[in-house]
Amino acid sequence: MSSQPRILIIEDDRKMSDALVSGLESAGYYAETASSGEEGFYLVHKLRPDLLLLDLTLPHRNGLEILRQLRQDGIDLRVLILTSHNTVEDRVEGLKTGADDYLGKPFSFPELVARIDALLRRMLPTSDPGPLRIGDLTLDLRTQSAARNGQPLDLTQREFDLLLYLTQNRGRIVSREMLARDIWRETSRFTPINNVIDVQIARLRRKIDDPFSVKLLQTVRGLGFCLREP
Amino acid sequence: MKLLKPTNLRSRLTFWYVAVLALLLFVYAAIVFAFQYAAMTRQMLHDEIQDVVTVEGLLYFDAVGQLQLRQDYFSRPQSHLLVDRYMEVRDISGKVLYRSPTLRGMPLDGPIRNGEGDRSFNERVVRLENGNHAFIISHIHGMDGRILLIRLGYSLVPLRDRMLQFLLLLVIAIPLALILAAMAGQGIARRALRPIHTLTEHATHISASNLHDRLEVPNSDDELGHMALAFNHLLGRLDGAFQQLRRFTADAAHELRAPLASIRTVGEVALGQGTEAGSRKAIEDILEETSRLNETVDSLLLLSRVEAAEAPGQFEIFPLRPLVEEVAGLLGVMMEDAEVKVTYAFETDKPIQADRNLLRLALVNVMHNAWKFAPHRSTIQVRSVMAGDMVQLSIQDEGPGIPPNEQEQVFNRFYTGSNPPGGRQKGTGLGLSIAKLVVERCSGNIAFDSGMTSGARCIIQLRSIAHNPNG
Repeated sequence: MSSQPRILIIEDDRKMSDALVSGLESAGYYAETASSGEEGFYLVHKLRPDLLLLDLTLPHRNGLEILRQLRQDGIDLRVLILTSHNTVEDRVEGLKTGADDYLGKPFSFPELVARIDALLRRMLPTSDPGPLRIGDLTLDLRTQSAARNGQPLDLTQREFDLLLYLTQNRGRIVSREMLARDIWRETSRFTPINNVIDVQIARLRRKIDDPFSVKLLQTVRGLGFCLREP
Repeated sequence: MKLLKPTNLRSRLTFWYVAVLALLLFVYAAIVFAFQYAAMTRQMLHDEIQDVVTVEGLLYFDAVGQLQLRQDYFSRPQSHLLVDRYMEVRDISGKVLYRSPTLRGMPLDGPIRNGEGDRSFNERVVRLENGNHAFIISHIHGMDGRILLIRLGYSLVPLRDRMLQFLLLLVIAIPLALILAAMAGQGIARRALRPIHTLTEHATHISASNLHDRLEVPNSDDELGHMALAFNHLLGRLDGAFQQLRRFTADAAHELRAPLASIRTVGEVALGQGTEAGSRKAIEDILEETSRLNETVDSLLLLSRVEAAEAPGQFEIFPLRPLVEEVAGLLGVMMEDAEVKVTYAFETDKPIQADRNLLRLALVNVMHNAWKFAPHRSTIQVRSVMAGDMVQLSIQDEGPGIPPNEQEQVFNRFYTGSNPPGGRQKGTGLGLSIAKLVVERCSGNIAFDSGMTSGARCIIQLRSIAHNPNG
């Protein structure tokens, strides 16, 4: 058995689970799928996964029941719930039953990977995040300021927070949902917030990229944004 | 207050009641009048016949053969029975033998008719020369070998005067009675309609707040009870239909989410694994449209959630200003970017009572809408004032405005006006309907000012706490 973290996906939508396996394997995980609770139990015992991606709407057996059973059996694994019933009550119910995290459908795949990474990292010794630096862009948490090529950038608080978040997720794609929740602290999603994010990103780009030849902040159409050296 | 105001039905009921009563009174009065007249005429005839018999005994020929009437049988001159009586005696040839002084020389009827007074009394009404009428009878009487025709009559003037007085009395009394009846009718109609008022108010309240409530049925056997039961039945069916509709929206949105999630994940994973430029563009387009579709689904779910929410009860009480500033802060960067200036004038700091999270969402949508239509380098004016007992917030832009016939429709779901915003982001067409639903759920109202000649002015009125009795 490889040293890759193992992920079990219990999801009855075949297209979804195929895409998840493919995507997670590209992200460096070993993934297997089960389309029902019974198959899931079997694989949990056989595969001993580190993390379970659990869809709540399953045939025969509700996802929450499966989770309850797993916790009763004392099986130790991280559980991330995926569901299209994305209300606060559902979320609370899921977390109370023993889930470690909760993601509403449709989710952004980069966010799913980020969540999985975060959940699995909790098990591993925390690695040093390293200096907040990408190319010639540096961030100073103490003074809440940023500079590029030694040249200080005049950023608003929100722009700094946004840049910091992108820097912490450097190399990864950050979706609009992630920004709305983590930077704007919006609990519910609504249309205007996407406009706000787009405008804010454009303004940030004007400050950190426009005067320089190397562009760091990229828009990945259909996915989100990414801060990386080209 | 409502009860004092005459309602249509009540006035109509009273009107019909009074009309029927007037007709009845008129017929009744006419019958009484006619009966009275007939009775008095009969009495008069009776008196006249008696008088004739009396007079026959009192007539005599004096020494010169002149017919005389014995006057000496009266014990007192005042009780002169015949004082208003007319009498004329003729012989068979028509020659007048005696004429009572009351006639003042006028003949009592014309020449003798054929067989007059022969067998019957020939009672009739005649017109005297002075224009007065008299009711007379005739009688043939033999005396001292001569045949005499006695005509005796009473003037009809006193009778007619009396009947006129009676008529006058009726003319005065009937309208008076009708006025009293109208007042009583109003009162009765009001009493009778009061339960309907109560029912109506109750029903209005139910349709305004929620359809779960039912009318009270005080007595299921009377007409109002039947009506209340019918109402409740209707409400039940409506409630069921609405719930079904709401459930459908929520269910449909949930059902849409699962395939949307698949499309998105499949697309995102494909993009992440690197594809050639042509298909990459296609997947990006698909993902962007998926995102828009997802916004619509989220908005629909939000709508059905707000709709399903219970009637207002435990709303928070909070000042409007910080909330507006919060919304302005959120959208500030967009305004700045479009060089749209937002000015604020808070002329009231009265707290309002509402669901803060939902109201925030409503304000975001309204402000976002104003931003969409605001021209480059224009101003959006935000102003709060008191309007009666409501706190009124107005958001005015300098955009193209809304044609009067679209001012209500813009709140309809998926409505896109005839003046779409130039260039800026297309929305889901649900933002304003969410805002309207939310504001109305918070017992407020929202509308566009129809008096605007340029630009659009959205007016939101919200309950301030002082006037929200129990929510």
